[in-house]
Amino acid sequence: MALSAHGIAAQLPAGLEGRIFVRQQVGEEITRPVAQFATFPIPEGIGDFGGNTDVNLGPSDIFAVLFEYGPESVGRALFAEQGVPTGLTPEDFHPYVMRPGVGGTLGIQRFFTASGRPFTFYARLGSTQQKNALVAKVNQLLGNLNIQPLTSSSSDQPSVSPAS
Amino acid sequence: MCLLWGHRKPRGHADEVKVDVVALIVILTVLVGLLTILVAGLLRSHADILRALHSLGAGVGDPTSSDDPGSVPISLSPSSPPLPGERNSVSVFDLSGSTPSGDAIALTVAGTNHLTLIAFLSSGCSSCAGIWQAMVRSLEDLPDTVRLVVATKGPEFESPPEVGKKAAGGKFPVVMSSEAWGDYEVPGAPFFVLVDGRRSRRIGEGIANTFPQVLDLVRRAQREVPDSADENQSRAFALGLDGPERESANDEELIRAGILPGDPSLYPKTNEDIYGEGKVPARSEGTA
Repeated sequence: MALSAHGIAAQLPAGLEGRIFVRQQVGEEITRPVAQFATFPIPEGIGDFGGNTDVNLGPSDIFAVLFEYGPESVGRALFAEQGVPTGLTPEDFHPYVMRPGVGGTLGIQRFFTASGRPFTFYARLGSTQQKNALVAKVNQLLGNLNIQPLTSSSSDQPSVSPAS
Repeated sequence: MCLLWGHRKPRGHADEVKVDVVALIVILTVLVGLLTILVAGLLRSHADILRALHSLGAGVGDPTSSDDPGSVPISLSPSSPPLPGERNSVSVFDLSGSTPSGDAIALTVAGTNHLTLIAFLSSGCSSCAGIWQAMVRSLEDLPDTVRLVVATKGPEFESPPEVGKKAAGGKFPVVMSSEAWGDYEVPGAPFFVLVDGRRSRRIGEGIANTFPQVLDLVRRAQREVPDSADENQSRAFALGLDGPERESANDEELIRAGILPGDPSLYPKTNEDIYGEGKVPARSEGTA
């Protein structure tokens, strides 16, 4: 399946589902696009990075997030890496890169800038034993992410297409 | 003119007849001419109709318009929903579309470890109103192993704000996708489809006018789902695959479990590699 909205397009590997959304604003906060991908049903009301849920990753599960920051972050050292990360290895995933939430055993977080937009990519794996296969799937997801420069038309209607 | 003819002498009677015949011939000639034009017009109109039918893919013979490269054949079959006997009531399709808030969403239905109840609803149908409310209020009545997904037609047919209002407060995803309605051959709302993700097939579908009826349908269909004993069998076996498809499905299963090509476990050298240390069954004696 493929889906696209808010200037982010993704071709999903088999078994992954996803959504690309912008949270409803509360007060004066500024909300920005978030994309979540998972091998399990993503619960309604889950936090951006997988918090606020009772769901726990199974051994063959993946949970991944693409989170956009504000334009003021462009040019900062943290976002110096250009382009969507690719070619991740199992050694790039660590037990200490974990946020509270859906569980898992290993995680990764990378900050980067793509098409002039600052992002973080965060993913966690369900098990260490299957990390080779899970990392391959994460790489497959990253390889099929396409980020467009943010224009007024980027927030237009989303487009989706089924698996070929 | 009649008066003039009346005053003519009998000698001129032959002349009068001659004039009448000439007038008749002229009138007939004019009539024949008019009819010829009428028939030619009808023939031309008929040819235009034949050409138009041919360009729609319903032509007969080989009209001269066959060299029109822009003509695209279209089906003239009626667009009514298929009859029950014509429906494909087994296949499953993943769902993708937009949400009422205009975001993108793609949900996996096949190859999962749970059941998915797809509720095809509309924001406008009167029978759907009570079901929307019940789903928002009493989702917990649905068994834990069942995931509820609501599918409405896409924004080209449904009003996203109206759908958003109906689903407000509900803890289930809403996919707006006319394609999903086409994939599942939905005859009309409300309509429900229950998918067994493990077997990647529909195990129940039908119409229900109240949420309790839906729950009843789900419970009955659930009883027919194979229990966890089937988990020991491969997905390929469960799907009834064979040959290269089964091999490919098994490969995917192994890769998913982290067993990649070249993994030592794929090349056992001793019985202990297969059964585990100290677990090799004793050889039976006395057989040939």
